[in-house]
Amino acid sequence: MTAESVSASELAPIEGKYVYCIIRNDRSRDFGEIGIGSGARVYTINHKELSAVVSDTPIVIYDPTRENVLAHEFVNETVMREFTLIPMSFGTVFRSENDVLALLKSTFQAFTDVLEKMQDKIEFCLKILWDRDKVVAAIERDNDEIRRLKDEITRNAASSTYFARMQLGRLVEAAMEEASNRYVNDIHEQLKSVSAASRSNKVIGDRMILNAAFLVDRKDEKSFDEKVKAISLQYEDLLSFKYTGPWPPYNFVNIKLKLEKAT
Amino acid sequence: MGLLTNILLAPFLGPVWGTRFTLDKVDRAVREQLTDDTPIKEDLMALQLQLETGEIDDEQYVQQETEIMQRLRDVREWRERFGMSVGGGPVRVAEGDETE
Repeated sequence: MTAESVSASELAPIEGKYVYCIIRNDRSRDFGEIGIGSGARVYTINHKELSAVVSDTPIVIYDPTRENVLAHEFVNETVMREFTLIPMSFGTVFRSENDVLALLKSTFQAFTDVLEKMQDKIEFCLKILWDRDKVVAAIERDNDEIRRLKDEITRNAASSTYFARMQLGRLVEAAMEEASNRYVNDIHEQLKSVSAASRSNKVIGDRMILNAAFLVDRKDEKSFDEKVKAISLQYEDLLSFKYTGPWPPYNFVNIKLKLEKAT
Repeated sequence: MGLLTNILLAPFLGPVWGTRFTLDKVDRAVREQLTDDTPIKEDLMALQLQLETGEIDDEQYVQQETEIMQRLRDVREWRERFGMSVGGGPVRVAEGDETE
């Protein structure tokens, strides 16, 4: 039997286990009816002092729709209030409780080590977008060479050469890249003292200059928060900040699980 | 004999080789395009950002999300057809690989 797309889920019998995360816990827990797929009951499958947080599910492939992703994240957020957790990738489905137990047993040591390292650590995400026009205006104000060249082109609009315009374009481009690096470095530098680690991800779209995740100790949460607010004030005229969290340490846990397709 | 045959029959063999080579290349390029979900995932992230920044509303989001999900499903289908690994769906611990 192959996995069906979720649209066919009504036909699939509810026999699988959707795994949200791994926590340190040695008794049965119930997190309520908050699971993926219209509020399935979320509970634990235990092996020694490790638990997988799961809900029952048909054997399906979950599309990463906003609704599904939010359901996955909501469970992890709920669990996170009480536990340090290792998040599983979105859409991880096992065929049976025994298969989940096999995961806990075979990866016991690695999970235990990572849970120890991640103890009381949370993640914040910071996306920074710039307003191109405002940044260009700031550059023209601060960069003498660019300002002079631009004035010259404007004064001699008719006679100004193609070359001068090209030259201006190149200078502005270079200055923008330099500005972007300067902002990003400064922001990283300022957040260094209040975070344990950071990771830069690929930027999305052409307005984003930073897409980073920060690993923060729970005791530093308030300082980190205040620092981000201070930075966003400092750059308020040029940049806009998308700041989210706390998240489970999605970007800082990298256990390569040796999983294969269950047929 | 081999070399001579090739030379003698060159007008006939040449184009066939040429065509096969090109088709292989095209096939590979097409296959890569059909089975790569990276650009689709990037589109999904860009779409989410557009919603967050208020460039699009909820209705537009849902509409475009449906389209992106269909593209993801198509890629999954092609990957299965080519015998490649597919994300999602039931998994189990790989046998004989005790992670310690």
